[in-house]
Amino acid sequence: MSQNAIEANATETEPQAGSSQDKDVMVKVRDLRTYYEGNGLFGGTPVKAVDGVTFDIKRGETLGLVGESGCGKSTLGRTLIQLESATGGEIRFDGTDITTLSGAELKKWRRNAQMVFQDPDSSLNDRMTIGEIVREPLDVHDWKTPRERRQHVKELLDTVGLQREHYYRYPHQFSGGQRQRIGIARTLTLEPEFIVLDEPVSALDVSVQAEVINLLEDLQEEFGLTYLFIAHDLSVVRHICDRVAVMYLGNIMEIGPTEELFTDPANPYTHSLLSAIPEPDPSAHKDRITLHGTPPSPRFPPDGCPFSTRCPARIRPPEYEDLDNDLWVQLDTLREVLRERDRAEKSVTDRIRELLGKEPRFGTIEGIYGELFDKHDVPADVQEILDETADLAREEGEIAALDRLGEEFGSVCEGYGPESDGESEDADEPVAPEYYTVSPSGRRSLCHRHNPSTNHAEPDQVLDERH
Amino acid sequence: MSMNEFDDKTLRERIAKNPQPALAWLAGALVLVVLELGRLASGIVQVGETTRFVLGGIASVPGSVEESVASTLGGIAGLVAFGLTVLVLLGIAAILVKWLLIPWTLVDRLGIEASTGVKDIVERVIVTGLLVVAAALVVLTPVGGVLEMAVSALTRGVEWVGSLPTITSRELIPNEGYQQPDGSWEGTFLGLSPAVAWALRVAVVYAYALVWLAWLWRGYETFREHYREADWTPRDDSINRFRNHYWGMFGLIVVIMFLVMALWAPAVSPATAEANLYQPYEHEFEYYGDDGVETISHGDANFDSRSQGSHTYVSVMSYDDYDRFHPFGTNTDGKDLFTFLAYGAQVSLVIGLLATVLMAVIATALALITAYYKGVADLVTIVASDSIISLPRFLLVLLLSVLFMQANHPVAEIYDGGLLLALIFAGTGWPLLWRAVRGPALQVSEQEWIDAAKSYGQSPAATMRKHMAPYIAGYMLIYASLSLGGVIIGVAALSFLGFGVQAPTPEWGRAVYEGRSHIDSPSWHIATLPGILVVLLVTGFNALGDGIRDAIDPQSEASDGAAGASGGGG
Repeated sequence: MSQNAIEANATETEPQAGSSQDKDVMVKVRDLRTYYEGNGLFGGTPVKAVDGVTFDIKRGETLGLVGESGCGKSTLGRTLIQLESATGGEIRFDGTDITTLSGAELKKWRRNAQMVFQDPDSSLNDRMTIGEIVREPLDVHDWKTPRERRQHVKELLDTVGLQREHYYRYPHQFSGGQRQRIGIARTLTLEPEFIVLDEPVSALDVSVQAEVINLLEDLQEEFGLTYLFIAHDLSVVRHICDRVAVMYLGNIMEIGPTEELFTDPANPYTHSLLSAIPEPDPSAHKDRITLHGTPPSPRFPPDGCPFSTRCPARIRPPEYEDLDNDLWVQLDTLREVLRERDRAEKSVTDRIRELLGKEPRFGTIEGIYGELFDKHDVPADVQEILDETADLAREEGEIAALDRLGEEFGSVCEGYGPESDGESEDADEPVAPEYYTVSPSGRRSLCHRHNPSTNHAEPDQVLDERH
Repeated sequence: MSMNEFDDKTLRERIAKNPQPALAWLAGALVLVVLELGRLASGIVQVGETTRFVLGGIASVPGSVEESVASTLGGIAGLVAFGLTVLVLLGIAAILVKWLLIPWTLVDRLGIEASTGVKDIVERVIVTGLLVVAAALVVLTPVGGVLEMAVSALTRGVEWVGSLPTITSRELIPNEGYQQPDGSWEGTFLGLSPAVAWALRVAVVYAYALVWLAWLWRGYETFREHYREADWTPRDDSINRFRNHYWGMFGLIVVIMFLVMALWAPAVSPATAEANLYQPYEHEFEYYGDDGVETISHGDANFDSRSQGSHTYVSVMSYDDYDRFHPFGTNTDGKDLFTFLAYGAQVSLVIGLLATVLMAVIATALALITAYYKGVADLVTIVASDSIISLPRFLLVLLLSVLFMQANHPVAEIYDGGLLLALIFAGTGWPLLWRAVRGPALQVSEQEWIDAAKSYGQSPAATMRKHMAPYIAGYMLIYASLSLGGVIIGVAALSFLGFGVQAPTPEWGRAVYEGRSHIDSPSWHIATLPGILVVLLVTGFNALGDGIRDAIDPQSEASDGAAGASGGGG
């Protein structure tokens, strides 16, 4: 694997800062945050669905947005077209910050940005005819005369590969692929410049997927559209997108040109994600990176790097560098179990049991230890800390135990400042990771390992070693 | 593919192009109208009087507000309150006027620049201003007098038309007469017996109503065949589904029978309500007694035709001692039960429909709002509806109706307390309906097409109306038709207890109440027949609701056939 990281221009928060490129940029997203408030009347901890995202979308390009379910990619798409209101940050659309628009101005702006929805069964009102559905945006914006609207809609039906007679039909008379075409026709009626495609083909048969993808590509060419393509099917993304953003837990982990990102990923999360693509050749040998546990709750994201709880290339403290890999996995599991216990109180032990794959309705610390470390050879110094932790957990609760474990086994990834660096000990503030530009094309990745001022190995090296 | 499969013309243009079928239909409709012109005109007069009464009531509001404010805060405050109330009322009127009568926006005409929200307000202010000017002209200048004269002249004209004979009038087919010793009938239609004459008149009424329905259907078919833009629209399917829905058709027939009975109550009754129910001692009729033709008042005759147990009764389909025919027998006080029921149908239907429609409107509006906005709006409605539901409904209804009636509140006087009952039933009934449709409403509000509508800037009100309401309508029809039965039964129960619609205004429940002790005697009909009618009516409304729900839901299509997307047509 080639060494690609160009670490010279590190710590850049403004991507493509050059003003010459600004003309191409259509959507500028800066530190965008979308939080969902708690259900209770008195708020509660918000769910941080999108938690500080910065990127640009250039005119006429297709930006892919990939990530696991629940990572916030749909919320990001919905915020971009103002279906959700942003909690913070800004979205500049040709210079206008649309998060500040409201009333008539917002309505006027909505013509520019439309969305194709994931589920064609749910995105069309079954009680209206196709004509009424596709014409409604025109009616809302009082576009020309009713007669011209009807004409326009019939032409659009033609454009997306349906027949004009379908104007008087009902959605339930159509197949999934045809329904998605109707949805696409509706987004096109107002002649928008920017379209968010929220998993537009994931509900369709594979054979139909290709047709719809081709239609979308044709339309992009014909009307000069800009797409944000949200998907979890990486092969589709690779096919259609010019650039890709990889999202995890409300953050963009890596963003850059598609081919480059697919062939030579920089971020550990991108590595793991790509290694999950099935290989059509059964004899091919492939090192799959298995991520342990589940993504943390976006209501309580971890300190430091969002991926730190599951990262296969996490920076380990130098004093434990020689510890066995399997033991690290067990230590990570222990911390996750403790976190779950802390959060779940006494009620939801199911998830813990699931983690352990074991019976105990409510695992004691001893039970957990036995489960995790019995089969492993635990060095004496580690065992000492584990015992201390167990005492803390029993006496002072999970938080104290977690703190102890973090002090000992944590690193900059989990927000613990490097100890050598005495002055930056800002005790309470966890260290957040930063974006580093990792290739000449301006690809950015969120990982401490790219930091040129420290001498951590690059993620791909570490992954080669550890897996 | 041709560019013009559907020629985009307005209906007027299409009719102008081929006027013959439309004119033929219109001629038929005119004939039908002329046949019943008199009754139509009296109906219009009645509606006009009601409107005048309501308007008068509203117009008196500012005055009463002024009075009450002036008595506490002084004359100037009273004047200010008067002005404010007038403005508020005219503002409400302005919204209606704008909505009903002014299809274009004055703001655009006048070229006023403002954002959309402000525009709406400016628009309303302008219309209100115009209304203020109009109201001032009417009140302060001779224009008001002229207007008054014009209205009264118009009323007189319509009243004269109302006096014209109609095909279903009692005068044309009289059924009241007496039998001479030789067996022949005097005073009835063509010397037929009163029973036959009455049956004939009822038959004419129903025939006329059916011809109207058939003609309307024919009009729709003419429109479909000659003037409609598309050869096929989804409504055709809805109608076909309904036509094959036998349960729904049964409901429709029952409901139509009742509607006709209520609308033509004066024609289908063997005696008029005035003579038989309200002022029996002031109306006299002739009969052939021991000394030849004698005259007696209805009240005196009623005394001898009472149905009370097995000693004295006039049973179903029989004559009393004075040669009056009683198709459903007589009441405990000797009044004709059929007349009582026909006029009672009016009362029941008006109260039932009014209460149900009000209830359904409130419940639907709240369901849409709470499902769309969720959160606090939902919570407040839940608390309000739970508070109402937690009270025993019938006791609440009883309490409120007694309270208003004892206090002689003006509302209690309209329609002999009918309006009050409708309001009370609507006010206590909406939480149940709202609860019933809240689930479906929330479900619809989660659909992506709601998001889609938001994404292209559709307004919340239009989103609720177009994208949510149709999905609730089906449920609402079912639940509303169920509660319509409930209201009718409730009103009957109130009358049964003596608190509902007051005598002498006929109400089915009171007939059941009066006849309940004679149910095991030859006078069984007094309680039984109205009871059966209530059951039939309630069942009919439920069946109709079922049918309509199935008809408007395109997915309920039983015969999933050729209508695939690949087929031709259009």
